[in-house]
Amino acid sequence: MTGIGLEFQDVSRSFGAVRALSGVSFSVASGDAHAVVGENGAGKSTLLKILAGIVRPDRGAIRLDGAVLDSASPREALEHGIGMVYQEMLAFPNLTVSGNIFAGREMTRSFGRLDEPAMRARTRELLERLHVPATPDTPMELLSTAHAQLIQVARALAFECRVLVLDEPTTSLTDAEVDHLFTVVTALRRTGVTVLFVSHRLPEVYRLCDRITVLRDGRYVDTFERATTSADDIVRAMVGREPPARSARAVPAAVGTPALTVRGLSRADVFHDVSFEVARGEVLGIFGLVGSGRTELLESLFGLEPLSAGSIMTNGRPMTATSAAEAVSAGLALVPEERQRQGLCFNLPIRDNLVLPTAATSGTQVIRRGAEQLAAQAQSDALAIRTPNLDVTPDALSGGNQQKIVIGKWLATKPSVLLLDEPTKGVDVGAKFEIHNLIRREADRGMACVMVSSDLPEVLALADRVLVMREGHVRGIVPGAGATEEQVMQLATHEVAAS
Amino acid sequence: MTSIWRAREFSTLVILVLEVVFFTWYLWPESGGHPFLNVGNAMLILKYSSIYGIAAIGAAIVIITGGIDLASGAVIGLTSVVIGYFFVEAGWGLFPSAMMGLLVGLSAGLVSSWLIVGLKLPPFIATLGVMGIWRGVGFIITEARFYDLSARLPRNWTVAGVPIDWVPPIVMVVLVVVFQIVMKQFQWGRSIFAVGGNEMAALFSGVRVGLVKTTAYVSAGLLAATSGVVLAIVQGQGKADLANGYELDIIASAVVGGASLSGGRGSVAGAVLGALIFGVLRNALPQIPGATFYDRVIVGLAVIVIVVMDQVMVRKAR
Repeated sequence: MTGIGLEFQDVSRSFGAVRALSGVSFSVASGDAHAVVGENGAGKSTLLKILAGIVRPDRGAIRLDGAVLDSASPREALEHGIGMVYQEMLAFPNLTVSGNIFAGREMTRSFGRLDEPAMRARTRELLERLHVPATPDTPMELLSTAHAQLIQVARALAFECRVLVLDEPTTSLTDAEVDHLFTVVTALRRTGVTVLFVSHRLPEVYRLCDRITVLRDGRYVDTFERATTSADDIVRAMVGREPPARSARAVPAAVGTPALTVRGLSRADVFHDVSFEVARGEVLGIFGLVGSGRTELLESLFGLEPLSAGSIMTNGRPMTATSAAEAVSAGLALVPEERQRQGLCFNLPIRDNLVLPTAATSGTQVIRRGAEQLAAQAQSDALAIRTPNLDVTPDALSGGNQQKIVIGKWLATKPSVLLLDEPTKGVDVGAKFEIHNLIRREADRGMACVMVSSDLPEVLALADRVLVMREGHVRGIVPGAGATEEQVMQLATHEVAAS
Repeated sequence: MTSIWRAREFSTLVILVLEVVFFTWYLWPESGGHPFLNVGNAMLILKYSSIYGIAAIGAAIVIITGGIDLASGAVIGLTSVVIGYFFVEAGWGLFPSAMMGLLVGLSAGLVSSWLIVGLKLPPFIATLGVMGIWRGVGFIITEARFYDLSARLPRNWTVAGVPIDWVPPIVMVVLVVVFQIVMKQFQWGRSIFAVGGNEMAALFSGVRVGLVKTTAYVSAGLLAATSGVVLAIVQGQGKADLANGYELDIIASAVVGGASLSGGRGSVAGAVLGALIFGVLRNALPQIPGATFYDRVIVGLAVIVIVVMDQVMVRKAR
C-alpha cells in the first residue's frame, strides 16, 4: 500500500518578477493524508495550480506513481487522476447535481447523445457514498455550501481520482459539516486515495493528516510527522519566527453612553428582535453557525438591507440609515465578509481603495492627490501593509494584506463603531495575529467593535462579551472571559436551560 | 494609476500617429498637393470625427461603469429632428432650438438610468429598447420628412469670431479636457471606476452607486445630444434616420481607446483618440483606388487589430 505516490521534484514557477515557487521538492506516500500549510503567499496556491494543470512549472516536475505528470489543462489533470476540491465554489448553479458532476466529460451514447440515465445512476451511487441528501436532478443552487463541496468530491470520484486535493475546503463550513467531510475523506483513504489537504486551520490538519509539509515564501521548509510535532512548531516553521503571545486584553470595557444601542431589531424571515449594546472600547463578539443571521444583522446595521422593526442608536443619537453612506456619517464602518466581492476594487490602486469610503462620503468632489497619498500612506504604515508601493492594485498582495487594506480603508473614516464580519477569514497565521492586535488596539483607543466570526477560539480570545445567535434569534450573551467553547457552541446549536 | 492610464492613452495615440504616417506615405502624390495631408482635409476629418468623438466620451463613461449605451445613435438622430422642428417648423432661434435638442439627451439618459437603476434591467436590454423608441419618436415627429436647416443657417457664419467649421472640433476638445479632468481629479470620476471595478465593494464603501450610474447615463445622453446638435448643423438637416448605426462606431471608438466592456477600465481621452482613428480611416480609405467596397471590412478588422495591439502593449507595460 505504501510507497511513493505523489512526488514534487524541484518545482519552480515565477510570475513576472515574483518567484512564487522555488525548487520545492517533497513526496507524499500513496494512500497517505498529507497536509500542505503555509502563510498566504507561501506558494500553496501555485503548487496546487500546477498540480491541477492551470499553470505549468518553469522548472521541475511532478510524478504520480513514478510517471511524470505533465498536465497542460485541468481536464488532463483530471484524466491523470488528480481530483481538485476548491475553496470557492466552482459549480454551475444553473445545472443539476448530475450535470455538475459530469460537466465537460458527459457520458454519451451513440451519435454523441447524452446518456442521462447512466449519469443519473452513477450520481445516485456517489451521493449515497458521500451521504449527500440530494437527487441527481436537484438544481445545484439549492445545495448548501457543504453539500456543494461534496459534489466536487463526487466529481473527482466519478473520474476515478487517485489523488484528492482539498484546498481550504472548510472555510465556510460549520463544525458538523466539517465532521461529515472528514468522515467521507477518511473513508476514501481506506480505498487507497491519496489526500492532499491545504488549510490554515491547524486543528483540522491535525485531525485529518499524518504528515504536514510547510512552505514559506515559495520554498519548502520541512515535512513533519504529526505524532512528534506540536502545533506551535508548525506555526514557527510557517512564520519563521516565534508566534506573538495571545495576551488577554488588560483594559476592561469602559462604561458610559453606549456607542451602539440596538433595540428589537428585526428583518422579516432573517433575524428577529435582536437587542444589545456595545460600550466604547468594548469588543462584542457575535457567534453563530452559518444561517444564524449574523452577516445579515451587520448588513442591516450598516444600512445595506432594510429593517422591518426596531431602532438603532449610535452614541445616544437615533440612526436610520438606508445606505452605507448614511451609516458612515453616523460613525459606523463595516469590514465585510467577502473581501474579494465586497471589499476591494481590483481595478483601482491600493491608495484609492484606502481612501474610497472617506472620499465617497466626505461630500467634497475635488480629489486632493497629495493629501490622499499622505492619508493612505499613514494607514498603510499603521497597519503594516506589505506592498512595494500604493500604486499597485490589490491583486498583487496576499490575502492577509488585502484584508488589512479593507480594515484600513474603514479605520480611515474614523468610525466610532467598527463592524467586522469574519475579519480573519482566509488569512494566514501571521496576518491573523496582526489583525487581532489591531482590533485590540482600536478598542483600547475607545472604538466599539462588533465582530462576527465562525472561529470560536478567536471570538473567545478577543471579545469582552459574546452574543450567540441561532436561527435569527439572540440565544444568549456571555462574558468572553471564562466562557468555554462548549457553552457557546451549545447556545449556538440547540436549546439549553439559560445559564 | 496615472501611469497605467497614461500608457493606455499613449498606445492609442501611437496607433493614430502610425495610421496618419501610413496614409501620408501610401497616398503620396506623383505631383501636386497631397490629397490626404492638407489643412482642409484635416479639418474635414476633425469635423466629422467630433460627431463620433463627443458621443464616445459618454460611451466611455458608461462602459467604465460596467454598462453599455446602445441608444446614442438614436439620440443623435432624434436630437437633429427636435432641433429641426423648433428651428424650421416653429421658427425658433438656433440657440433655443439646440437647447431643446440637449433636452432630448437629458431625458434619454434619465429614462435609460431609470430602467437600469430603478427597474434593474440589464443595460444592454434597457438601452436596446430605448434605442428603438427614440428612433421611432423621430419618425413620428417627422412623418418621414426631413427638416432643412441649411436654408435658414447663415453662410460662412462665425461663432464668437471662430468659423463654424472649427466649432465641432473645439467643442470636442473642450469636452474631452473637462471630462478627462473630472474622471481623474474628481470623486465622481473615481466612483465611476469603483462601480465598474467592483459594484458591490463600491456600494459597501458608501459610494452612491445608483446616483453614479444615473449621472453616467445622463452624461452619455447629453453628450450624444451634443453630437446631434453638431451633426444637425454640419449636415444642415434634421432627419429621423440620421446617425443610423452610429452607436456601434461610438462604442467601438471607446473600446479602441482602451475601455474594457467588463467595466472598470478606460479613458475618455482614449475614446476621442479612438474616434479620430476611425475618422482618419473613413476619410483615407475612399481615396485609395479600388478600396471603396472594402472599407467596412477594413474598419471592422481595424477594431479587432487595434484592441489586440492595445492588449499586447498594456501587458508589456506591466
